[in-house]
Amino acid sequence: MAEDARTVERAAELRADIARQFGRSLHIRTLDTGSCAVCEQEIRLLTAPHYDLHRLGFFFTPAPRHADLLLVTGPMIRAFAVAARKTYDAMPGPKVVVATGACALGGVYPADPFTYGTVDAVLPVDVWIPGCPPSPLALLHGLGVAVGRLAEKVRDLPFTAADYPERSRGDS
Amino acid sequence: MTLWFIRGLRRGVVTTRYPGRPDGSARYLPTPPAFRPQALTRQAADEVAAICPSGALHRDGSVLVYDVGACTSCGRCAAQAPDAVTASGEFELATTDRSALIKKIPIRGEAP
Amino acid sequence: MTAVEPRAVPGEVTTFQVASPDLESVVRDLRHLRLADMFASGKDDTVLRLVWANDTAGQAGYVITETPVASGTYPALSDIAPAAFVEECEIYEQFGIQPASGKPLNRIMLPPHADLPTLGRPPKPEPEEVRAQHTVGGSAFEFPFGPVRQVGVESLYYGLVTSGEEVVDLYLFTWHKHRGLEWRLQGKTPRQALFHAERTEGLSAVAVGWAFAAAAEAATGTRPPDEAERTRAVALELERLYNHAAAMAALCQSTGLSVGQSAAEIALERMLRLNAQAFGHRYLFGVIDVGGVTRAPEVGVVRRELPDAYGEFKRAADALLGTNSFVDRLEATGIVTTSQARALGLVGPVARATGLATDARQVPSGPGGPYASQQGRIDIPRPTAGDVLARFNVMLAEAAESVRLIGDFLEAGPGAAAAKLPETAGSGLGWAESPRGEALAWVALDTDGRITRARLRPASARNWRGFDDACRSQNVFTDIPIIEASFWLTAAGMAR
Repeated sequence: MAEDARTVERAAELRADIARQFGRSLHIRTLDTGSCAVCEQEIRLLTAPHYDLHRLGFFFTPAPRHADLLLVTGPMIRAFAVAARKTYDAMPGPKVVVATGACALGGVYPADPFTYGTVDAVLPVDVWIPGCPPSPLALLHGLGVAVGRLAEKVRDLPFTAADYPERSRGDS
Repeated sequence: MTLWFIRGLRRGVVTTRYPGRPDGSARYLPTPPAFRPQALTRQAADEVAAICPSGALHRDGSVLVYDVGACTSCGRCAAQAPDAVTASGEFELATTDRSALIKKIPIRGEAP
Repeated sequence: MTAVEPRAVPGEVTTFQVASPDLESVVRDLRHLRLADMFASGKDDTVLRLVWANDTAGQAGYVITETPVASGTYPALSDIAPAAFVEECEIYEQFGIQPASGKPLNRIMLPPHADLPTLGRPPKPEPEEVRAQHTVGGSAFEFPFGPVRQVGVESLYYGLVTSGEEVVDLYLFTWHKHRGLEWRLQGKTPRQALFHAERTEGLSAVAVGWAFAAAAEAATGTRPPDEAERTRAVALELERLYNHAAAMAALCQSTGLSVGQSAAEIALERMLRLNAQAFGHRYLFGVIDVGGVTRAPEVGVVRRELPDAYGEFKRAADALLGTNSFVDRLEATGIVTTSQARALGLVGPVARATGLATDARQVPSGPGGPYASQQGRIDIPRPTAGDVLARFNVMLAEAAESVRLIGDFLEAGPGAAAAKLPETAGSGLGWAESPRGEALAWVALDTDGRITRARLRPASARNWRGFDDACRSQNVFTDIPIIEASFWLTAAGMAR
């Protein structure tokens, strides 16, 4: 299949469009893989008047199908790994995983029969937010970093035939 | 409900300007330690590595390896070796690169 | 009968040896007390310990009975004291010993068929899933919910049995959050273990940390300095304040009152910032040390900021109590009756809202302890309704008392000091009144001063068992979040 200039142009427009869309609103799904409940409290406070996450275009969503960003806390309990994987798989791409707090980064629990010790043993982590717990300000900063990572992923999205070399080989 | 609306108006705006502007409350947050290599002796490095409850510190030959990600900012190292360790005051630590969170601090008087 | 009849001595922990054949009659005799905890220890020579609490004002104290269990079975205690059932299940999966009646036991911490390390000899693998009877039949069906739930809440799996709208039965699985903390603490020194003890239930880090530190201190016969105990008490009351503000915000969220939620969250954030300024941590981690405390509060900051922060809390609470749509939603929702609370050994605001007088602060940690001079002065109403509104009112009254107590403790002078623990063998019980109720810890140390068995029992480990009763009391689905907010428990504390 020949690749005309129009297709390439359209793909660039689409990418810019999606980047713009994500720049305006981004939906967050939270996932607790064994935290001590304090990271959850800090995440809840993001929507409180002092921090008001919505002013920045972030929203929480209870459905993984609507989520662009997975905010993961806790050291990843082995018994929980299946649920974590399913939540991640249910999210549409492009998506980013944010490991939140010292537990998720491997600080509190070692890898042992109960826990994996870090989130990246099960999920592909894109952004790391240290802290025990990360304060809402640190979370806001981390979400800003995550938006940048998501923009990169959008830029690398495959749209044109050139992005699918294996498929075009099959066609010809 | 009208009453609640008026109450809210009377309360005024409390929302932070962060990330556009710095937030004053950040200065009271516990922050990870900063190490002063000129004061970090081998003995101090071994002591802080032994006392760290989250395994964020260990000595590797002539460097002290510090993992900010694993650190819980508990402040035990700063209490143990106040000359070599101070609070960094940084809270904007999020990164896309896990290895960027691991710092290597040379120990005084030992070739790196 | 045993030679010495077990009874509670006011203000003290008394330990009695009870032979296995006598256990049943002793439990019958002690039924007027509250069964606060039950746990086992020892891989080969398993010993069963029951902790009883006397809640009567002026006579409050703890009784521990120790019973060696050699045969692999012990009398079925939950038939006499229903509060023992969850612990019977827990002891079975960790130590392989079970009640003599051989009744089916639920899995609490360890998922069935999982090969995880246990504290004692693990039970034989079960051929199929065995669990206690749940009501499923007729038009009722089971509705699985979780473990991944709404935004910013902990993972918890509900088995909801319903016939459509009404909650017929509800049971919980928490093994998705089990971090093996009691297993993890073995072989550590108390100071190392405190790091994980605080993170058992982060929202009551001070209470669980204090209970654990007090247990280690009792085991070694150490007495923390009085000014350090006052620092602990200041931190404990600050923890209660922010938790009650958070519970109020959660109640508003669950009733859909987002303006009220914002007002409560402003109070909550103010209190957390006060914690950060006074103690250096928003959730007061790292304040407690074994033998004392690591730091003293900034007294001036607490004096200056607390009235304003509590003022926000009080304004929000008064406005909520004046909002009929809110109060109507709480009234007669999620009722726990007095007899249920007594039978299940519930603690904290949940028990106090049914008229029971449980409060771990009634047992001061010593003659110079911060609560010793407060006996008979901690004024908390005990309504008998047992519904969500009663629990909310108890929380509001507790918050007011906390402000007064903090003032008293600051007057008496908190300080930073810690006694050094000797390296001796021993065992001891520790307690503290967390925002959710009594937190207990029991620690046994060997001659090197290392932990051989640590039992952590945050209030959440107790009160979740009252949650299904509260949900069953003529409630529909939409009441469950309201009831959960009013209990204000954590899954982390239950699963540990």
